[in-house]
Amino acid sequence: MKKLSVNIIKNIKTKSIAFKEKRFLPVNAWLSENIFKKTDIVIKKTYRDISSLKKGLIVIPIMLVVPLLFLLIPPAIDFGLVSPHHAATVNSFSLVFPVFFWTLGIVFTIIIGTSGAPLIAEEIKTGTMLILISKPITRTRIFLGKYLAVFLLGMVLSFIAIFSLGWITVLINSGNIDHFISLIPFLTALYLYSLFILFLFTSITMALSSILKKSKTVSVVIILIIIVSFVAFQFIRGLVGDFYESFQLYHFDLGYHLGNVFIFFMETFNVAPPSISWQNLFALLTGVYKFTNTIDPDQRIDLGGLEKTNYYLPIFSLLIWIIIAVLLLVFGIYKLKKREISI
Amino acid sequence: MIKKESIHQYEIWTENLTKVYGKGEEALKAVSNINLRIKPGIHGFLGPNGAGKTTTLHMLIGAISITEGKAKIRDETAGTVAAKQLIGFIPQDPVFYDDMTGEEYLIYLGQLGGLQRINAKRKAQELLDSFNLFEARNRNIETYSGGEKQKIAIAAALIHEPKVLILDEPTANLDPIGRADVIRKIKELSENMSVFVSSHILSEIEQMCEDVVMINHGEIVIFDSISNIKKKFIRNLHVLDTNMNDKFFEVLKIQSYISKVRINELDGKIHIIPKDLKKLRETLPHLLIKHNTILLSFHQQERSLQDIFMETMLKKESMNK
Repeated sequence: MKKLSVNIIKNIKTKSIAFKEKRFLPVNAWLSENIFKKTDIVIKKTYRDISSLKKGLIVIPIMLVVPLLFLLIPPAIDFGLVSPHHAATVNSFSLVFPVFFWTLGIVFTIIIGTSGAPLIAEEIKTGTMLILISKPITRTRIFLGKYLAVFLLGMVLSFIAIFSLGWITVLINSGNIDHFISLIPFLTALYLYSLFILFLFTSITMALSSILKKSKTVSVVIILIIIVSFVAFQFIRGLVGDFYESFQLYHFDLGYHLGNVFIFFMETFNVAPPSISWQNLFALLTGVYKFTNTIDPDQRIDLGGLEKTNYYLPIFSLLIWIIIAVLLLVFGIYKLKKREISI
Repeated sequence: MIKKESIHQYEIWTENLTKVYGKGEEALKAVSNINLRIKPGIHGFLGPNGAGKTTTLHMLIGAISITEGKAKIRDETAGTVAAKQLIGFIPQDPVFYDDMTGEEYLIYLGQLGGLQRINAKRKAQELLDSFNLFEARNRNIETYSGGEKQKIAIAAALIHEPKVLILDEPTANLDPIGRADVIRKIKELSENMSVFVSSHILSEIEQMCEDVVMINHGEIVIFDSISNIKKKFIRNLHVLDTNMNDKFFEVLKIQSYISKVRINELDGKIHIIPKDLKKLRETLPHLLIKHNTILLSFHQQERSLQDIFMETMLKKESMNK
């Protein structure tokens, strides 16, 4: 009985010391211990591995080069005379396609793919993962740490690219700060779209990295997906449009869905009013619009843009691919948990 | 149903631990029904290359799945976070993040081991100091020598203060000085924690360990203390060395209490298998005096772990055939 009461007192003392220690933990340590549980440590390490100033200085200019080329085509307005809203509309007309196709399309997805590809496949191949998993951390947290590091890198890169593109655009055209402020809704819509792309391609990349043995294979598969999405389906639609529609290939056409989601963000933020000046390019590249003549032949006025193909409601495209991204994320975790890690 | 009391005394406990790679006709049994009962102390895990040592260790750390059977580290199921908190593991060929310094690497693994950064840094510096790597702490690991890399691998296994250290051929890629250094360190460590070390270099195991588990083709062939094993495998062979072995050999040949006697070609000594050892011991001094022979040495031949290992493996091979 005496022994029991001594034990109880000891227990209470230990718990109260632990409680006091916990109470005085710094916020970051508390978050690390209770919420992230070591995931933050993997995020920090991985982010340090995949990001560098040198990488940023190379990647950001590449992301910006094509939209800046589009800006060199002089618009038929004097930016010094128009309202900030009008200037923003003209600028968004110039940027909307190259940002979709290049900045947040081919380049961004390749960056995500090549950054994420080695994070699991290569660590398993070289043997560093064996040491990592021998430590008291779950594989789920290792996966999430690496996943979130790629996501964080993408968030930083797309933010810098999109908002510096906005600045450069305004500097080239007018140098007026009000023009930049008016452009912010458009830039925000682009940034939100970039988060969607980031989520989808990080999930694809990390799932592939969990199942494939070589990071090079992961990169090749990602690049193939990008080529098929942004280039191959374009030709199928252009050459055998009937075949595309009759066999309902749009279900599997990622390029179409990405275009659809992109337009969803443009429409929701009401930042790129309908106009054939940019919709024609989307009609050609993504199949979101039909090639129809909406220019009044007599007065040569744009009658309000092209008609949509409406294979999918844009919100459905968004939801479907978000669900796919979530499933790929879960699949990636599952595959890593089941994978035999041995060298 | 596992009796908790019976498992409690073991650092590593396995019951019919089995690993099969592949399915159907292509299935390969890498480890078969291994029952380990590893008590506190330092224990060797012996076997030729491909015997299943690494596969067993990888199941214990949760790197690969267990096809059948159970494994526990103390009371915790192998592969769980709780079990991994108890173990420190050093793989056969430790690989590092070469762009990290020794200190950064240890802090990183320490934090994954549950230490707060400040404690991980303090512990890392203590370990770097004890492994004579403090001066090299800010150098990238890729610049470390082979011996330094092995030391940092051991330090990395110790950073979260495990209770059981599992080492997979820790001296495999080291030069003799590096080997001696690592063996000394492992012996030191075994004073404060249990060590389970795999190797195919028997002399090293003999230097380090109290008990050994020998496996071949994924099955345990011997599991006992080294002294017991040697006792079991002791042979009735006695070696005699005198100042005139050829002459004295002729004397021994005609003794009725000697079963076999010959001069060993390698060392020139007389090898005797007695029928009656007691009589041999009693009469040998008289014979030596009678024939004016000087005794240089006389002993029962000791068998190294190497001999026992080879004999056991060969026996097993022939049984399999």
